This record gives sequence, C-alpha cells and structure tokens, in this order.
Amino acid sequence: MVDIHLDAIINGRKVSRDVKPHLRLLDFLRDDLNLTGNKEGCGAGECGTCSVFVDGVLMKSCLMPVAKAQGATVDTIESLAKSGELSVLQKAFHKAGASQCGYCIPGMVMAATAALRANPFADREEIKERLGGNICRCTGYQKIFDAVELARDVQNGRVPATALLETDTADGEVIGKNVRRIDAPSKVSGRLKYAGDMTMPGMLHVQVLRSPHAHARIVSIDTSAALAMDGVESVITAADVPGKDGFGVFVHDQPIMARGKVRYVGEAIAAVAAEDALTAKRAVAAIKVVYEQLAPVFDPDEAMLPGAPVVHDYAPDNITKHIPIRVGDVEAGFAASDLVIEESYSTQAIEHAYLEPEAGLAYVDHDDVVTVVSPSQNITHHRHMLARIIDKPISKVRFIMSPVGGGFGGKEDMIYQGMLALLAMKTMRPVRLVYTREESIISTAKRHPSRTTLRMGLMRDGRIRALAMRMVCDGGAYGLSTEGVMRKAAILAAGPYAIPNVQIDTYGIYTNNTPSGAFRSFGALQTQFATESQLDIAAERLGLDPFEIRRINAMRDGDMTHTKQKLGSVSLMRALEAAEQASRWEAGAPTVRGPSRGDLNHDDVRPSVTLGTRFASGDASSEAAE
Amino acid sequence: MLICDEYLTPASLDEAFAAMERHRGRYRVVAGCTDTLPWAREGRAGDVEIPVLIDVTKIPELNERHVGDTRVRLGAATPIQRFLDDAALGRAMPAMPRCAVWFADDQIRAQATLGGNAVNASPAADATPCLEAHDAIVELASSKGRRSMPLREFITGPGKTQLAEGELLTGFECDAFPGYGGSFEKVGHRRSLVISVVCLAVMVKLDRDGRTIEDTRLAIAGIRPVPRRLREIEDLLRGKPLAGALLEEAADMPLDLVQSRSRQEYRRDVVRGFLVRGLIAAAKRAGASPDALTRELEAAYG
Ligand SMILES: Cc1cc2nc3c(=O)[nH]c(=O)nc-3n(C[C@H](O)[C@H](O)[C@H](O)COP(=O)(O)OP(=O)(O)OC[C@H]3O[C@@H](n4cnc5c(N)ncnc54)[C@H](O)[C@@H]3O)c2cc1C
Repeated sequence: MVDIHLDAIINGRKVSRDVKPHLRLLDFLRDDLNLTGNKEGCGAGECGTCSVFVDGVLMKSCLMPVAKAQGATVDTIESLAKSGELSVLQKAFHKAGASQCGYCIPGMVMAATAALRANPFADREEIKERLGGNICRCTGYQKIFDAVELARDVQNGRVPATALLETDTADGEVIGKNVRRIDAPSKVSGRLKYAGDMTMPGMLHVQVLRSPHAHARIVSIDTSAALAMDGVESVITAADVPGKDGFGVFVHDQPIMARGKVRYVGEAIAAVAAEDALTAKRAVAAIKVVYEQLAPVFDPDEAMLPGAPVVHDYAPDNITKHIPIRVGDVEAGFAASDLVIEESYSTQAIEHAYLEPEAGLAYVDHDDVVTVVSPSQNITHHRHMLARIIDKPISKVRFIMSPVGGGFGGKEDMIYQGMLALLAMKTMRPVRLVYTREESIISTAKRHPSRTTLRMGLMRDGRIRALAMRMVCDGGAYGLSTEGVMRKAAILAAGPYAIPNVQIDTYGIYTNNTPSGAFRSFGALQTQFATESQLDIAAERLGLDPFEIRRINAMRDGDMTHTKQKLGSVSLMRALEAAEQASRWEAGAPTVRGPSRGDLNHDDVRPSVTLGTRFASGDASSEAAE
Repeated sequence: MLICDEYLTPASLDEAFAAMERHRGRYRVVAGCTDTLPWAREGRAGDVEIPVLIDVTKIPELNERHVGDTRVRLGAATPIQRFLDDAALGRAMPAMPRCAVWFADDQIRAQATLGGNAVNASPAADATPCLEAHDAIVELASSKGRRSMPLREFITGPGKTQLAEGELLTGFECDAFPGYGGSFEKVGHRRSLVISVVCLAVMVKLDRDGRTIEDTRLAIAGIRPVPRRLREIEDLLRGKPLAGALLEEAADMPLDLVQSRSRQEYRRDVVRGFLVRGLIAAAKRAGASPDALTRELEAAYG
C-alpha cells in the first residue's frame, strides 16, 4: 500500500500525517484522529450521521475517500461546541428534546447548521428539505424541526436567547412537564461514546464469517490459513466454547456460532480477531467451510406439515410456541350472530433499522472478569446466559450497557456478545466488533411475519359476539423472543373489546429464515392489525360509524380481559375521542362519504410530496438560478 | 468495502492518461465516488480490491464551465450542486436546478458529478434526462485522441456506455435555453435520497404574451433502459396556443413509454400526470399568461 501524506486543517488544527489510501474520510476522522462524534450509520450515504464540513460544504464522509480531503479544511461535530460551550443550535436541540437515542444527532446538528448558514430565515418546509439527507429513527423528526426553528429565531433575534434555557419545572415538578433531557448535551455535542466509538490500548478488531446457506450441515471448518496470516491473533468456532452453548430469551436454542449446522443465511460460523479490521476481513475470507446442503423450509405453514424439514431436533414439528386462549363457546357465539365475517391478513418481516448498527467491546480485566460492553437491551439476562456458555461463575462475568443508538427490541438478543467474550478470553486483549449496516440487516432479528385468519360474529347493532383467530408467525431459525411475542399477540388479539366468546391460537414456527424477535409492540401489531381491520369491514357491512362500533364494544372500567385481568381504569374512550378529533373525522358509516372530503387539505396537512421550497424562499443562490 | 493500494489524484489530463497507461488493467476511475463506494458493499459487489483508484476531480479541464447564450460546456467533474449555486448556469439549463433539488440530498450533490451520472448510466439517473433534453454531446479523450458523440448514443443500456478502455469523459456540450421555463418531476419511495421510479425533465418557451408555445423539450427516465426524448410531444406542442386541453392531449399521446418490469400501471398513471404537471410548471416559469391555464387544471395536477 502506498500511504498518502495528508495535510489538512481539521477542527482548526493542522494535521499532517501518512494515511492508508483506502480509508474514507470518516475512517480517518474516527479511527486515526479519534474524532468519534460523527458516526457511521450505513456506510452508503443514506443516513447522514457522518456529515462533516469540507471547506465549509457539508459532505457525507462515508462516501469520501480520505485523499479528497488533501489541503482541505474539515470541521466535525466536535468543532461546534467551542471549549464545551454548546452552539445555539445545539442548545436548541437540548431545549426542544430533539435527541432520543442520539446516534443521528451529530449529523442532524451538522445538517441544521448548514441549513441555517445557507438560509438564516429558512421556514419549516425548507428546513425539512435541507435535512432530507439525514435519517432519524426515534424522534419522528418534529422535535428536530422545532429545534432548528427555535435556533433560527434566536439567531435572528426574534426570540431572546433565554428561550434556549427556559424550563417549566421551576417548582421541581417534572411529571407532565417539559423537562430538558439531562443526556442531551452529550448527544448534541457528539461526546457520548457508543460502543463502536470506544477503543482500548492494544485492541483487536473482530470480523465474522457468516453462512451463505439457509440450511446446511457443516462438514468441516478449516481455519489454518486464516490463523497463519500476519496480524491475526485468534480464530474461533463453536468448538472453542468451553461451557454449555446456547442463548435465547425463552429457549436457549442458539449457539453463539453455528454448531453442526447452519439454519439461516447470515448465521455466524467463525470469528477472527486481528490487529486491524481489514486483516480480520481477509482472514475471514481465508476460512474454508465444507457444507452439505440440507433441504430448507422457508414457509411457516409448510414447516407445520408432516415431513417438513426439521430445523431443530428438539422440535420435530417445528413449533417454537403455541399459545391457545379459550373463553366461552365461539361456535355458539357464531350461531347466534347476525353477521359472520371471515378474512385473512398477513404482515411482513420488518427491520428495526436503529441508526446504530450492533457493536461491542470485550476484555478480561485484572481480576479475570470477562467484561462485555455493548448496547444490549437485556444485560442481566445476557450475563447469566454468558456465564453458562463460557463456564465461569457469575461473579466473573460483567456486562456494561453502552448507550443504545436505537433498539426498538432489536438489541435484546445476545447475538454477538458471546463471540466477543470468547475472543477476549482467547487473546487476553480487548476486542471490538462493529457491524456494518448490511451485517445488521442480514443477521439480526426482525419483526415476526404473520398470517392470520379471523372469524368475527356480530349482532346487527354492532356488538361482537364471537371472535376466532388463528395466527401463524414465521419465527425464523432460532427462538429468541418468539415465545413472548406469541403470548402477547394472543393476549391482545381480541383488542380492548368486551367479547363473550373468544378462541385464539398463535403459533411461532421455526423456518430457515432470518430469526424473528422482539420488535416494538411485541406481537400486538400482528393480531390487532387483523382485528382492527375486521372492525372496519364490519362497520361497513353493518352501516355503522367505525368509531361507533369500537365504542359499542369497548371494555370499560372494571371489565375483565380475555385472560382474566381486571381492568381498573380504561382510557379507550378518551383515546378514541382524541383520534376522532385530531383526524377531523366525518361521522357516519364508511360508505356514506360524499364526493368531497372536509377532513383533508387543511393548513396543518402536508401538501403532496414535492421539493423546491428553497426556490421560493429567497435563498439568494437558488433564487438567482430561477 | 473498497480497498486500494494506491489512490492517485492527477492534476492534468496527461498525468491521468499516464497513470492509466502505467496501471492498465489494474485501475478504476472515480470522480465523486457516490456510486462507486456504495457499489463496493455487501449485497452488491461486496469487498472489492482495486489496486489503483484514479480520481479525476482535480483535473482542471474536467472542472471547466462555460455558459454562453446559445451553448453550454461543462466539465465532467461538475458537481450537481453547481446547478443550484451558479445562477447563469441555472438560467441556461432551466430544468437542471429543479432536477438538482431532487438529486440525492444537500450533501451528496456537492460531491456527485455530472460525468459520474452519465458513465454510471443508471436507468433511474436524474441528470441524464435533463442533458438529453438539451441534446447534450459527450466529449471523450484518451492518450490517443479525442472524440465526441451525442449522449443518446453514448449511453447504450443500463450501466452500459461507449466509453472505451483508457478513455475519460471530459465534459458535455449542449444547447443553452435561456428564457425557457424549466421543471423536473420525480417520484420515488420518499422525497430525499430516492431512486426515481419516474422522472421527467421539461422546458418550455412561450411567446412574449405567454400564450403560445414557441418551443419545448421533454425527456423522461426511470421507466426504460435509457432516457428517452419525447419528440412526438414536442412536435405536437410547438407553435400551439397554451391551453389545458392541449397539455392533456400531449399527455394522452399513445407513446407506450413504460418499459419497466414492475409497477407498470402505476408508472403509466404517473407519466400522464407528470407530463401535464411538468408542462404547467414549466409554462408558468416561462411567464404563462395568467388566463392561459385554468385554476381547475392546476389544482387537478398540482
Ligand atoms: C444516497 C445516494 C443517493 C443518490 N441519489 C441519486 C439521485 O437522486 N439521482 C441520481 O441520478 N443519482 C443518485 N445517486 C447516484 C450518484 O450520486 C450519481 O449517479 C452521481 O452522479 C455519480 O457521480 P460520481 O461522481 O459520484 O460517480 P463515481 O462513483 O465517482 O463514478 C461512477 C462511475 O462513473 C465513472 N466515471 C466517473 N467520472 C468519470 C469520467 N470523468 N470519465 C470516465 N469515467 C468516469 C466511474 O469510473 C464509475 O464507474 C445517489 C447516490 C447515493 C449514494
């Protein structure tokens, strides 16, 4: 490799260094200069959290080879807070509560800074446009736009600077009040260290070999060529696990690396720790695995048929979990109904897409405590599982939860922490693994795809007499949270409605697809999508207002749920009312709507999708282009 | 991951050709890198090892910009953002600023080049239909000499061009259309950072009263292997009085434009709506007489 001698001004300081020619500006800033404020979220120019100024122009540093910064002035998020004093925009982000997980925020603050430099008077629509290259997964953007508008107004003297600091908690009350988040300054300044930002002296870099096959027996794994490479410290496979391998939230059916066979594309097979990530990558490519293909099964309904390929020997019927609920007598309920509707519904796998891809750092400390730092959403459980897997007493296993750059349930599983612990133990050096976005998508849990058939029996006045639901979910190759998801799906399947006869069956099924796991709503979405859709259909058939049919059936204070929980207070009626008002609902059955709609196209409703507000806004440069 | 042993930034064409000669068969040309880096990732090309990358963005000739009354010449390394910064350029190519706001995002268009867009030759590229509407000529050079050809001959299919081994795209030359109104219609899955499902470049020139279409240029992309100029529509409109019925007639011409494999019916609907909307927007920016187009028409296609 021919190093580049780079001369640049970075955050106001002259930097003159030899750098590897294949680095991107982002790698150079983060790895060589330890400027970890700007993050990597996707590596493909999509998310914007890597945005930095290059000669005053905002750029995505993940798409920029470092050589392009030759002679340039580069400013990162670290440059904005001078001597720790936050910029007006950063203060506004703090005040407006514009940060949640915080991982996108350095890029957002940079993009907002660029937006207000380009047009100090940008209105909200123009701000939205100018922040279009930055993705946030938590906030829904509104608070971010609020923050930029506040900063704009302070900068323009339209509101006093004290507005950035005001809180309405002077009397010490916090509940129901607008409170400034205490963790926001660390996020808006980029100073908060996520796992992928952390380094330790002597740290090794980890890369993982993943299965290209959905279902195959592992005949042999030859790691000798990888181990022989310069800079490679260790290569591990399932054979290196000292204890009882297996993790999962309910059943411990998943080995930390494939054991004997692979069950989905992307499953970890081996992991390499090397002096740098590129060497580790090359070593991974040098590992030879011989597979014997097995028949795969990708459809959960097919997986339930006799003779289907078996994913786990312990579950020959491929059923991870079946949850049945029985209340009353549904057949009698249907017989007594005026109208019986039967429909089927399906939902698809969904990726959590937290902005922070999985990352972790592990080391064995001076007291032989195996320590794993990662954005785990379930560290205590992970600690117990890991102790068993690495055969250590619990007192010698420690989990430290690093800031979670978005989780949404997707970081509940101990997908990679086991490999890190093992490599730290083998090498007795700190080891770090940072997933790429693609790796995160390929190998981690998704929301359960579902297929539901739903029968609902109703009286002419809208009362539901009986509900029978069968939902089959694709749990993928491993159990993870499937059991809990099936439970919650079943518990909430009949909705907040008082129904005398209920029969519910939810099934989580093993297949050779990417494992499904915890995902916001934890199963409730899948069953309620069916139930709520069916209620709309029922309203149409019965000539009832969709809100009304829900009120007719709503559980009230003191009612008993289908799983026999007594409800103290039920806020459903209030929620319905609020939704009705906010949507400017025009009362009546779904079929009565005339040719014109009064609920659309109000001032607070976004017009059709378009871009180009900057042409109208008086932004000098763009206006001139007109 | 894109791995190279050497990253060269030649300061002249000759230096670039010398490097290409020296590393023949072992190099790849890059400009803004906004297609190349995402390409070298898992799920696409994966990890790619290319011994030498040759960055052409510092070659002066590739950064030239001449905006005349009748012709424009743009170096291949011109970033898309220039169409928003350079007022004279925006006037000479009035659909391009509109295209630029739809192009990727504020950050990427500061880096993405016009030349990269053409050589990458994606069917969903946004700048190439605009260039096609200007009858752009591509200028090519190699150590052996120079040649040029119309863009529509240069791009031969998805990802395919006539660029020869050892050759660089140095620039574009095209008609200037000052006084035309321009519009760019685009739809994808979201607003920013989106691949065009359909995109349409429109330019309209009206007479002094803003009532008669003197000239118009249209080119569409996203729905076929390569951008397509809509000469049939241009011919229909040229010289006619500006009126809603005429624009709808143009949009209804049976041209069978959609050749995409997916979502054909949707795309056909979009194309029809875009044609009317794009023509209305361009005509208004060209100074259409306020009574030439009815408010109902605008509302219907707004
Ligand atoms: C997040 C994101 C969003 C995007 N959005 C859009 C969009 O909205 N619309 C759109 O059209 N595109 C979009 N793109 C694609 C890309 O930005 C454009 O195609 C851009 O114009 C490519 O230019 P570049 O200079 O970055 O190309 P590079 O990646 O540098 O090069 C692309 C190809 O062209 C070749 N090449 C470049 N310059 C020359 C030259 N002078 N001579 C010979 N060969 C050359 C290279 O060898 C390479 O094969 C997007 C990309 C990303 C990452």
